[in-house]
Amino acid sequence: MRAEALKGHLDGLLLAALEEGPQHGYAVKEALRESTEGRIDLPSGTIYPALHRLEQAGLITGTWSVVGGRRRRTYELTSDGREALSGERDRWQEFAGAVTAALRTRPWPTTT
Amino acid sequence: MADHDLIAAQLGILSARLPAQVVEELADGLQETYRSQLTRLGDPEAAARAAIAEFGDADTVTAAFFRDSPWRRMAVILLATGPMMGAVWGLGLVSAQMWNWPIPLSVRIGYGVVLVTVAGTLLAVVREKRAYRRTRTATLAGAAALIALDAVMLAAVTTVPSAASWPVAVAISASMLRITATVHALQKCCF
Repeated sequence: MRAEALKGHLDGLLLAALEEGPQHGYAVKEALRESTEGRIDLPSGTIYPALHRLEQAGLITGTWSVVGGRRRRTYELTSDGREALSGERDRWQEFAGAVTAALRTRPWPTTT
Repeated sequence: MADHDLIAAQLGILSARLPAQVVEELADGLQETYRSQLTRLGDPEAAARAAIAEFGDADTVTAAFFRDSPWRRMAVILLATGPMMGAVWGLGLVSAQMWNWPIPLSVRIGYGVVLVTVAGTLLAVVREKRAYRRTRTATLAGAAALIALDAVMLAAVTTVPSAASWPVAVAISASMLRITATVHALQKCCF
C-alpha cells in the first residue's frame, strides 16, 4: 500500500497498534504489518517521529527501560489516546461506508 | 554499540543530526531490525543492508523527523502570522503618528534589524532539512526575540500618551496574544 494512501490515518493506525498493550517503536511497526497482513509496512524509522508527535499531544506516554544493554522507549495509550482511537474508528466507519456506497457497482439499466 | 559497521555508520550520521535521546531510541529500533533480518538472511552484510532498507536510511529518517518537528511547526506559524502582525502594527503606528514619538533613530533602526534577522532565522529553520538540533536552537532564539520585540512595542505604546487609538488597541491585543501563544508553545515543546 502506498504511503500517500495512509495520509490522515497514520495516527489512528499507531493508536490501534498500541491498543493491546505497551510496545516499543519496532514492535509497533511489526504489529501494524502483521495486523494488515503485510499490506502496510512502513519504513520503521519514520514511525518514531509520529510516535513523538502523539506523545506530545498526550495521546500516548513513553517510558525508558534497559533491554539487552540497550535503552528502549516503550509507549502506551493514555485515556485521551483511547478516546481519540474510538473517535478515529467512528470517523473511519462513516468514511468507509460512504465511499463503499459511492463505489459499488450498479447493474446496467434494462433497455426494453 | 552497533552489531555491524553499516548500522554504526547510519547511527553516526543520525547522531550528528538528531537529539541524543532520539538517537538512542532509533539505535534500539535499528538494532532490532538488524537482528530480525540476520535471523531471516543469516549473512551479516546482507542483513545490515536489508535492515537499513527496512528502517529507512539516515536521510529518510531525518526528513521524517523534520516533517513532524514541533520546532519547524512553530517557525512556520510565526512566519505565517508575521505579515498579519506587521500589517496590524503598521496601521496602529500610522494612526498614532509614530514618526512624532520621542524614540531615537538608532533604536528604530536597531528594532528593524532585529526584526529582519528574526524573520531570516525562522525562514532558515523552515528550509533546513538536516540539522535538527540547530533548528531547535534557532527557533528558540527566534521565538524569544519575537517575544522581546512585542514587549518593546507594548512598552513603547504605553509610554507615549498620543498612542491611544483603536488600531493601536488591536495591535496591542495581537501582540499579547502572540506572546501568550508563543510562551505556551515553548512550554509544550521544551518542558
